[in-house]
Amino acid sequence: MHLLEVENLTKRFGGLTAVNEVSFHVDEGELVGIMGPNGAGKTTLFNLISGFLRPTSGTVKFKGENITGLAPHKIVNKGIARTFQIVRPFRHLPVIANVMVSLKSPRGARKIEWLKTDERKALDLLEDVGLSELMLEPAENVGHGDLKRLEMARALATEPDLLMLDEPFGGLNPLETDFLTKSILRMHLDESSRGIVIVEHKLYALMKIVERVIVLHQGEKIAEGKPEEIAKNKKVIEVYMGKEM
Amino acid sequence: MIEGIIINGAILGGIYALLAVGFTLIYGVSGVVNLAHGAFFMLGAFMFSAFGPLGVIPALILAPIFVGAIGSIVYRLTIHPILGDDVAIMVVTVSLALIFQQLILLRFGFSAHVAPLVEGWTIIGGVRVSYMKLLACALSLGLFFSLWIFITKSKIGKAMRAVSQDREAAMLMGVNTERLYMLTMAASAAFATLAGVFIASSLLAGQASAYMWLQPLFTSFAIVVLGGLGSIKGTLIGAFIIAYAEHLVANLAPQGGQIVAAVPIVIMVLIILIRPKGLFGKRIEME
Amino acid sequence: MVATYVKRAYSSFAAHVFDVPPRLLALLLFILLLFCPLVKPGQSIQLILRDTFFFAMLAVSWDLLVGRTGQISLGHALFFGIGAYGTALLYQYLALPPWITIPIAILIGISVAPLIGLPCLRVKGPYLALVTMALPLILSAVIKYGPITHITGGEMGIGPLPPLIPTELFQRIGFSYRESLPLVELANYYLALVLLFVFSVVLYKIANSKTGMIFVSILDDELASKACGINVTRYKLMAFTISGLFATMTGAFYAHLVTIVNPWFLSLMHISFPTIIRTFLGGIGTIYGPLVGTHIYFILDRYVLEKMVQLPFLTYTQWTYTRLLIFAAIVIVLIIKWPRGIARFVTDKLQDLEEARDLDERGKWIWKTYKKKKME
Repeated sequence: MHLLEVENLTKRFGGLTAVNEVSFHVDEGELVGIMGPNGAGKTTLFNLISGFLRPTSGTVKFKGENITGLAPHKIVNKGIARTFQIVRPFRHLPVIANVMVSLKSPRGARKIEWLKTDERKALDLLEDVGLSELMLEPAENVGHGDLKRLEMARALATEPDLLMLDEPFGGLNPLETDFLTKSILRMHLDESSRGIVIVEHKLYALMKIVERVIVLHQGEKIAEGKPEEIAKNKKVIEVYMGKEM
Repeated sequence: MIEGIIINGAILGGIYALLAVGFTLIYGVSGVVNLAHGAFFMLGAFMFSAFGPLGVIPALILAPIFVGAIGSIVYRLTIHPILGDDVAIMVVTVSLALIFQQLILLRFGFSAHVAPLVEGWTIIGGVRVSYMKLLACALSLGLFFSLWIFITKSKIGKAMRAVSQDREAAMLMGVNTERLYMLTMAASAAFATLAGVFIASSLLAGQASAYMWLQPLFTSFAIVVLGGLGSIKGTLIGAFIIAYAEHLVANLAPQGGQIVAAVPIVIMVLIILIRPKGLFGKRIEME
Repeated sequence: MVATYVKRAYSSFAAHVFDVPPRLLALLLFILLLFCPLVKPGQSIQLILRDTFFFAMLAVSWDLLVGRTGQISLGHALFFGIGAYGTALLYQYLALPPWITIPIAILIGISVAPLIGLPCLRVKGPYLALVTMALPLILSAVIKYGPITHITGGEMGIGPLPPLIPTELFQRIGFSYRESLPLVELANYYLALVLLFVFSVVLYKIANSKTGMIFVSILDDELASKACGINVTRYKLMAFTISGLFATMTGAFYAHLVTIVNPWFLSLMHISFPTIIRTFLGGIGTIYGPLVGTHIYFILDRYVLEKMVQLPFLTYTQWTYTRLLIFAAIVIVLIIKWPRGIARFVTDKLQDLEEARDLDERGKWIWKTYKKKKME
C-alpha cells in the first residue's frame, strides 16, 4: 500500500484545465520531487491533495483511505502537512506562537501542564530549523529566509506522515539554500517512515536530494523517474529549453 | 392598481439605478464601502434647493458639481489616508454622514423644498404620471447608460476597470490611483446628488429631510448586492427588481407603507445568505 | 515567613503587571476608577462612568469577534438587545427577580449566538458587515411594527423593570428613602466596576490562551490556519458565541440598571456604531483598547462637550446640532491620526522606551526552564 496514491486527478476551472489526469504515488520514507515550468499545475496539484481545492475528477488516497475533497484541516489531522509557496506567517503572533498553533494539545490534561509542554515542543522545533533565538519576535518583523524556515517548522509541528513543501527554496540565497537542503536531508534520514514531496523550481537544489522526480507540463505528467534519467529525458529538456538544468 | 405598480416601479427603477451605480463605482474601483453615499444623496437634494434661486437648469448643473467636488475633497482628506483599513473607513464615512446631516440641520433645518423641474402630468396606461417622474426616469437612465458607455469606451473608463481588477498592475501601467479615486468619488457623489434631486422632487412630494441618508444607503446596498458587487449590468437589473419589490410590498402587504423601508434590507440579507455573488457578481474560488 | 511569602507574591505580581505596559495601563485605570467617587463625589460623573463601564464591556466583547478573528460585525446591538429584551420579557411574563432573569437571558444568548453565527460564517468581508448590520434592524422593525407588539411593547418598550440594587436594601439598614438614592447610585457604580474588572480579566485570559492564539491565527491568515489543522469554522463559531454571550450579559444587566427596555437597545446609530468607534479609538485587537477607547468616548461626549462653553451666536438647538458635528469631526481626526488606536499608540511608545528585544516575563521563564531541561 502506498502512503499517498493519486489517481487520474483532474481540475478544470471553467475552460481551463489546470491539472489533467495526473497519477502518481509516494511511498513511506520516499523523497519525491515534482518539477515543471511555471503554470504546469504543481501548486494546483498540491492544493488538490491538501484539500484546499476540490478536484473535478479523480481520487486521492492516503494510507489506503480515500481523502478526496476532505476539508483541509481534516487532511492535516490525518497526517499530511503542506507549506505555501508564498510564506503565510501569522503576522501578529510571535514566532513561537506560530508553531504552537499547529501543535495538537492533549485533551484532559491540566491546562498549565500542556501549555508548558506545547512551548517546549515548539522550542524544539524552532531549534531544529535554527529559529529559537527569534522565538518571541512578532512574525511581521522576521525576514523572508527565516519565515520560510518558520513555515516548515509549523508544518512539522503537526507531526505529519507526509510532508509537502511548495517551493521551499524560493527566495533563498545560496547559504540559506544549503542550510535548508541539509535540514531536509536530515529530516528525511531521521524520520524514516515519513514521505516528503517537494515542488521546486530551482532544479539543481531539487535534483541533489530527491530519489524520484515527476515532471509536469501544462497540467499533465510527462515524465517520471530517477533524477539522472530525467536530466537526459528529451521531452523534459524540450519543455525546459532555455532554463537552467 | 397593477398598472400603477408597473409604471411607477419602472420609474423608480430607473432612478434607483442612478443612485446605486455611484456606490458600485466607488466600491468596484477603490474597494471603499462608502457609508456616506446616502449622505451625498441627501446633500444633493438640499443643494439643488439652495441653488434654486439661480434657476432650475443652473441649479441642476451646479448641485452635482458642487457635491461632487465635496465628495472628492472629502475623499482625499479623510479616506485616502486610511485606505486599506476597511473598518476604519466605515467608521469615518459614517461620521462624515453625521457631519453632513448636522451641517444641513444647522443651515436649513429639518427639511427643504425641492421644486420639480417641470410641472404637469399625463396619463399612461390608465395611470396618472407626473412629467417630473418621467423626466427623472429618462434623465437617470440616460446618465446611467452614458456612464456605462464611458466606462467601456473611454481611456479613463478603461483605467477604472483596470484598477478594479488589479490595482497593483494598473499602478505599474502608470495609472495614478489617487487621482482616479478622487475622480470616481466625485462622479459617485454627483450621481447620488441627481438621484436625490429626482427622488425628492418626483416621489417625496418635493420634501427633502436631513435624516434621509440612511434609507438610500440601504437601498444602494441591496441593489448592489443583488446585482453583484462590481457589475454595472447587475446594478441596473437589481435596481428594477428592488423598485418593483418595494412597490409590491407597499401596495399589497398589510401595513405595507410602514414596512416598505425594510424591503431592501430583507432582500439584501436573503441574497447574502443564499447567493452572495448576486446575479452577475464575480466569483472567487479559493480565498 | 509571612514576609518572604508576601515578597514573593509581590515580585511575581510586579513582574506580571509592571513589566508589561498594557497591563500597567489597565491597572492604573482601575485604581483611578476605584477611588474616583471618593475623590470627586457627585452623581453626574458617577452616572457617566457607570454607563462607560457597561459599554466598555460591550466594546471588549465586540473586539473579541472583530479584532481577534476578523469577522466584521456591524450589528453587535443585536446581542445587547437580546439580553435586554430577554430579561425584560422574563420579568414581564414570569415575574422573576433579576438575579434569575439575567442568567436565563444569558443562556438565551448562548443558544442564539451560534444560530446567528452559523450562516454568517460562510459570508466574508463587506457582506458580513452588511448582514450583521441588517439583523438588528430587522429585529427592531419586527419588535416595533410586527404582529407581536403587544408582547414587546412596540416603540415604547417594556418597563419599569426591577432595579439591580433596590433602595429597600439601604432602607432596611436604617437610611431614609432620600438618603438611599445616592447610595444606590454608588452601589451601582461599584457593581459595574467590579463586573468590568472580572469581565476584563476573564476575556484577557481567553485572549491569551491557546484559543485566543488560534483566533489571531484566523485573523491573520485563515488558509494558513487551516493548513495547521485548525477547524476554522468551529473557532469562528466559538468566537461568535463567546462574544455574543458577553454582549448579551451586558445588555441584560444594563436593562435592569436603566429599568426600561425599548428598541434603542438594538439601535445601529446609538449602540452598534458607537461600540465600533469606541473600540477603534482605543485600539482594535486588544483588551485595554476598547476599555480606554470607551472612556475617551464618554468623557469626550458627556463631559467635555457638555461643559464646553456654548458659542454665543448659536441658539440652543443649533448648539445641540453643532455638538454632534464637532464630536463626529473629532472622531474622524482621531481615527486618521491614530488608525491603530490611541491606547495602542501610547503602549507602543512605552514599549519602545524599554530595552529593545527585552524578553517579557513569560519568555524569560520559558527560556530558563527549557535550558534547565536540556541540561538534564
